[in-house]
Amino acid sequence: MAGGADTDRETTSFPPMSEAPIIATSDLRFAYGDIVAIDGVSLEIPSGRIGLVGANGAGKTTLLKILLGVLPAASGRVEVLGHPVATERLEVRSKVGWMPESNCLPPDQTAADFLGYAAELGGLPVRAARQRASDVLGLVGLHEERFRYIGEFSTGMKQRTKLAQAIVHDPSLVLLDEPTAGLDPEGREEMLDLVTRLQGFGINAVISSHVLTDIERTCDWVIMLDGGKVLRSGPLTDLSTTDEVELEVIGDAAMVAAAARRLGATVEVTGTVLHLTSAGGDAFAIARDALVEAAVPLRRLGAKRTTLEDVFMGEGSND
Amino acid sequence: MTEGVVFDLGWRPYDGPRLGRSGARRALYRDGLRRVLGLRRRARRKVLPFALLAIALLPALFFVAFGVIAGEFDPEATLFGHSQYFDLTGALVLIFTALASSELLLPDRVHGTLSVYASRPLTTADYVAMRAASLATVVFGFLWLPHVMLFLGRAWVNGFGSYVTENAEILWQTALSSVVYFAAYAPLGFLVAAFSRRASVAAGAFLGVVTISSAATRGLIEAGFDFMGLFAFQHHPGYVKDWIMDSSTHSWIPEDAGFDPSVSLLVIIVVAALSGLTVYARQRRAG
Repeated sequence: MAGGADTDRETTSFPPMSEAPIIATSDLRFAYGDIVAIDGVSLEIPSGRIGLVGANGAGKTTLLKILLGVLPAASGRVEVLGHPVATERLEVRSKVGWMPESNCLPPDQTAADFLGYAAELGGLPVRAARQRASDVLGLVGLHEERFRYIGEFSTGMKQRTKLAQAIVHDPSLVLLDEPTAGLDPEGREEMLDLVTRLQGFGINAVISSHVLTDIERTCDWVIMLDGGKVLRSGPLTDLSTTDEVELEVIGDAAMVAAAARRLGATVEVTGTVLHLTSAGGDAFAIARDALVEAAVPLRRLGAKRTTLEDVFMGEGSND
Repeated sequence: MTEGVVFDLGWRPYDGPRLGRSGARRALYRDGLRRVLGLRRRARRKVLPFALLAIALLPALFFVAFGVIAGEFDPEATLFGHSQYFDLTGALVLIFTALASSELLLPDRVHGTLSVYASRPLTTADYVAMRAASLATVVFGFLWLPHVMLFLGRAWVNGFGSYVTENAEILWQTALSSVVYFAAYAPLGFLVAAFSRRASVAAGAFLGVVTISSAATRGLIEAGFDFMGLFAFQHHPGYVKDWIMDSSTHSWIPEDAGFDPSVSLLVIIVVAALSGLTVYARQRRAG
């Protein structure tokens, strides 16, 4: 893994989007007794890093377990990497890695032994498994610790070991359930860096989290779940950009607002900051013309960006 | 505190052979063997299994050495006869099974490692079968190796050819008896382990169920409840072993209760099947 002829697979750009979705579900339903956990979820997810966001109990982990074939869908269709989960569960599992939120590590094994075993369970021959265990532990920053018992590891080291076991057999897709749970800020940064690098390894990832900033930082496609239903599913850029222009002026904002309204814009003023939207025209052009007409100096101007939290809270309140 | 450094060593995709489900099953089997024997674990994990193995083998080794040095041995001697040897190894294997069955099932469930198996090309049936196969291999070796040593030692002293041809049936009889002991104890051990959260509790509960059931049933039979002989779990394998080897080493409780050895064999099979199904259902629910 360190060097070698094949390192050219790691690139900084995203691999080309495959035409077929990596995950496709249709009218998926699942319930724990009377409690509906997944309610009519239909998705087509492209390759890349996919964020799965939602409050606790939104159905994120349940959806991941259905994708893995651990929980059987009550109804609906699920395909992962082109394989129907209902009939080709083991085929799916041989191509997928899974990092559960809860502990999954045996404390009485060394990291190297456990990773080697995890690779063998993924179908790799013994020698290749041991080599990859060593390589992947280096990749997640645990090479020096590989012969220590996992029971002696800190929470951050355990999280990295969990990620390592999920990718050690080189899956095409990895499902990460709350990968930053329980980590301190430094550990969280390292984990997010590792997750961000997965795409460069040719591994697609579905990252479940209720920490929206983690998803914003690592993902290029977002699925929002609430109460077992999909609120939104789409590219992160579509969710975070708006037609709204935000400008801050030096001086009388009311004069600019009045000019903008005369030009047909809807304006909200907060101190010296104005938000302009225009149903028919170009909000940027209106802002420019209003500033000229009012003869007020400009401090800054740009498209208003919404955070994932804005979108999530907005969608949630619409429900 | 920085606990490690993430080195950018690049990534090399794996493009070698993938062994799929069969490879995963073999890995599971090998891991089971290592767990049972404490290999690649802390030193204290190795002490008990190897101590029990040594206790099982040492008498056979001693006898073979003694016979070889003396140049003869009494083939009628009962102390180290094949059938009597099961009295020693049968008790040891009961303790061994108690420890090994909980070691095989319990940590995976308690530490959440079942979720790793759930993400690999394995089924619950694979998991249970391979864990059982690991235990079967070690228990069989545990029980049968001393007999092979005894057989070879006696053959050596007696000049191989004639001894081997005249006594070859001992090998399959002891092998079959070893399988019976495994079938009688291991499923019960797995059953208790599947519902326990602590290895020590599981081992203690298993030993308690097997030994106390025998003591209790003897008393009940003497009080006239003959059918209770069916629940003398510790005595069934010995009774069947004597049947297989055409010997009589003990007064077995099922025998005292008037049951044929074939009934004991049937009890072993039924208990094993029911225990196996229950363990499967439990593991499926836990995984």
